[in-house]
Amino acid sequence: METINKKELLQKLEDIVEQHVSDAIALFQNRDNEFLNRPSDTGGWSIAQCLDHLNSYGHYYLPRMRGKLRTASPIGKEAFTSTWMGAYFTKMMDPETGKRKYKAFKGHIPPSELDSAAVVSEFIRQQEELLYLLRDGVQKDLDVIRIPVSVLPIIRMKVGDIFQFLIAHNERHMQQAKRNLVPQSIY
Amino acid sequence: MYFSGSMEEPLKLLHSVVQAIHPLDSTDWEALSCIWKPFTARRKEIITSVGETERYLYFVTDGVQRIYYLDDLNREATIAFTYRPSFGGIIDSVLMEVPSRYYYETLTPSSFIRAPYSEFKEVAYERPAVERMLRAGMTQTLSGILERLVEVQCFSSEDKFRNLLKRSPHILQLVPHKYLANYLGIDPTNFSKLVNKVRI
Repeated sequence: METINKKELLQKLEDIVEQHVSDAIALFQNRDNEFLNRPSDTGGWSIAQCLDHLNSYGHYYLPRMRGKLRTASPIGKEAFTSTWMGAYFTKMMDPETGKRKYKAFKGHIPPSELDSAAVVSEFIRQQEELLYLLRDGVQKDLDVIRIPVSVLPIIRMKVGDIFQFLIAHNERHMQQAKRNLVPQSIY
Repeated sequence: MYFSGSMEEPLKLLHSVVQAIHPLDSTDWEALSCIWKPFTARRKEIITSVGETERYLYFVTDGVQRIYYLDDLNREATIAFTYRPSFGGIIDSVLMEVPSRYYYETLTPSSFIRAPYSEFKEVAYERPAVERMLRAGMTQTLSGILERLVEVQCFSSEDKFRNLLKRSPHILQLVPHKYLANYLGIDPTNFSKLVNKVRI
């Protein structure tokens, strides 16, 4: 895979996360429980379900990334190279490049009647933590630190790939959640 | 978006705020206005830490920030929010030149202009009008703090919430609820109930 500038990558990812937090604050946190739990017009996930699904991944990955990043020693290295599989996962999840639908994995399927205020505030908390982790990453070797994939723990992915995959996945379901803000015609 | 190449707009904003506190003539304003430099920070960055003596006066041109206290059990107490167009920073640490007891943190991407206190002091020493402006500004701040103490001691959660929205109508769209709940000293669960109850 192509070697890229780590700092530029992290900056680009931080900009996306910034958008996710500010959208969640401006568009979701002040809506009532009924609205946030309403299924989409096509019977798909509600806003709360989209965010709860994302939270379940953050719940797995963030503490593991925090632990590994915090203890890793600082390094001057400026490059990062995705693995083939890391790039593949990211491409699959990025709504721009992965157009088909996937079924949610076991353990990541959101229930329907959620405590939406708790879900939104947990989502915002996780995104704030993700910002800290991205900033932490600037000083660390993102090629060397590896984290087991939540749905397939025998695969240990580079933390630089986890960042990209996780944030592409967030983008995917943020777009889905935001579609629920506008009533859509089913025709 | 947070590129601050030009100082023109921020200084104009500062000028209007300063004139409202205590009018300065053009030579005083000239001396005061030339000590400011742009400064930006992203979301959730600590600008001033506990134990650090703040060397700058801040004037907020964009974003929301908070001043908070961290107790020995790691519990946060949000003391104040700052936003455009107002002064920001840990003002007692700056003016008394003592280590800060509080953190100053951005809650959204933020832009400021800031002036080294050492330079401000010189200007204020030379120019009584600037000194008077500072005194008038501090008096307004003190008055605001006394009002806030009344709110903390006497108001119901709902009244505190309404008051916050009256002072800062856009804050619900900008700041995560947890910081607002913490500032009002109410439980986050009760806070979201208030958001739904008090129609905005």
